[in-house]
Amino acid sequence: MDIQNLRSQIEKVDTLPTMPSVLKKLLKVIENPKVSLNEIGNFISSDPVLTTRVLKVVNSPIYGFPGRISSVSQALILLGLNVVRGMLLGVSVFEVMERAMVGLWEHSMGCAVTARIIAQKKGVKEPEEISVAALLHDIGKVVLSLKFTDEYKDILNNAEKNGLYISEAEKAHFSITHAEAGAWIAQKWNFPKSLIEVIEYHHKPHLSKNIPVQSAIVHLADILIQARGFGFSGNNFVPPVHPAAWQALNLSETDMKEILIEMEEVLEQAEDFLISSE
Amino acid sequence: MNRQRTSLFRANRLKTVVVVTRDVVLTSIIDRFLKDSYSIVVFTKIEHSLDYIYNSLPDLLIIDISLDDVVTIGIINDLKSDPIFGQVPVLAVLSDDFIIPKWDYLFIEDYVRRSYIETDIIAKADLCIKRAERVIEINPLTRLPGNITIIKQIQRRLETGEIFAIAYADLDYFKPFNDKYGFGRGDEVLKMLGRLILNTVKHKQPNSFVGHIGGDDFIYIMGPDLVESATQEILDNFDRIIPTFYDAEDRAKGNIESIDREGIKKTFPIMGISIGIATNKIASYSHYGEVTERASEMKKYAKYTGGSCFRIDKRQYASKN
Repeated sequence: MDIQNLRSQIEKVDTLPTMPSVLKKLLKVIENPKVSLNEIGNFISSDPVLTTRVLKVVNSPIYGFPGRISSVSQALILLGLNVVRGMLLGVSVFEVMERAMVGLWEHSMGCAVTARIIAQKKGVKEPEEISVAALLHDIGKVVLSLKFTDEYKDILNNAEKNGLYISEAEKAHFSITHAEAGAWIAQKWNFPKSLIEVIEYHHKPHLSKNIPVQSAIVHLADILIQARGFGFSGNNFVPPVHPAAWQALNLSETDMKEILIEMEEVLEQAEDFLISSE
Repeated sequence: MNRQRTSLFRANRLKTVVVVTRDVVLTSIIDRFLKDSYSIVVFTKIEHSLDYIYNSLPDLLIIDISLDDVVTIGIINDLKSDPIFGQVPVLAVLSDDFIIPKWDYLFIEDYVRRSYIETDIIAKADLCIKRAERVIEINPLTRLPGNITIIKQIQRRLETGEIFAIAYADLDYFKPFNDKYGFGRGDEVLKMLGRLILNTVKHKQPNSFVGHIGGDDFIYIMGPDLVESATQEILDNFDRIIPTFYDAEDRAKGNIESIDREGIKKTFPIMGISIGIATNKIASYSHYGEVTERASEMKKYAKYTGGSCFRIDKRQYASKN
């Protein structure tokens, strides 16, 4: 399939399904008449697919400020409780649930909390925007495996058998990786430019010209969470950190130690969350 | 002025329906069904009704149309094309064999077939009027109600003696933003602000009211005990969201270069909101102008402080009237 064709196939994806366990919890949240915007916000921020739904609606031309909103809490303020509730009512789930997909969810969530820790360490102004970007960095994998389910299974197997990174196996099959696929869908859904840039360059932070620090944070978080063995990104071994990311972040050894310690604390809570959702 | 005001705002004024038909049977049926709810004025030809319509702006026009009556159709279309008289909804009574033309050639809101008159006329008349009231006068940018509705909302509360607070909000440094980035980008900010105010206020109090006066001026009306917390939320959320409406480098700098009202190049900070609040809890007002003036005064006072903030009028007044 040529790239143009592939892109138009991917752009046809309108909504993404989520995990069955998330839907169960979701129904509890929205059926509670006393639920606050904050509670809904925290819940949405823990799921990459619910987050894409919210950002897609708030950045659609209907509201009149496309491509401006990249944080879930801001999106909820502008959409209002009724719209958010209504939107969540239509969420669907994967028909066939792969184990790899569960792992990807954990990986995305772990990456989000790690990126937030690094962002806070670096004193970034809107850490929520970075954790959203980290949560969505692998959204291309969800899109590819939804659209090309069997092929993507082969890709995962190929990566495992032949000792390839998942993006190498994707490239061998599609001639693009999940990073491009994610950026395409993010563009189609009018996501803010900065968010698209992080998704597109989370493996190549040196190419991120407008927001090098943010891209470097997500890149590092992506690798740290894999090194920690939390979730499953599709990689069977840990990729190296790009030198440009070290340069952009300029973290000392003490900084890194502190980040790793904080990660442990937060991930323990996150693990509880994931277990309780089963 | 005063007399006109009362006639415009009196809550229980009977709405007026103008009926145009030569058919005396039809006239008596309509009269029988509608006379309890509406005051009815009957004309036999539309030409004769125009003077009345121009002078009194009725709430509904019910008109008996036959297909070959090009004069009547022409007059209806002219009437509906006028921005003022176009707001009067037209309900056509059509004979059973009337073939409906393309709606581009017949500007009416709804129709009822002659043989369904007795079953449908009340519901159709009510619905036409309700629908016209609903769509009246919204700001095309934010889809929020505009000045006429705002005034009615305030005046109705004053007349029923409801205790309320009215908040008047506008942006600081909106003009330099507009000048630098263009009005399209300015419109994005206004749409965001309208949505932000609407959600925050309605979430706090579902039966509150939010209106868009125009430009960067907004008004909301709610209970005096909730207005301060809602306002603080609006200010906090606005300050969090607004930086993303600037270009990355301006956002990082925290200011923009633009020209002031005298045309001189200056640096302007990121936009904020100033909100002035007045309430009839401690002061008494009888006219909407008095209370909006107080709120507007308080807004100016808030502006002097700089940054996003609000001021509440704590002075006591007796109405001038």
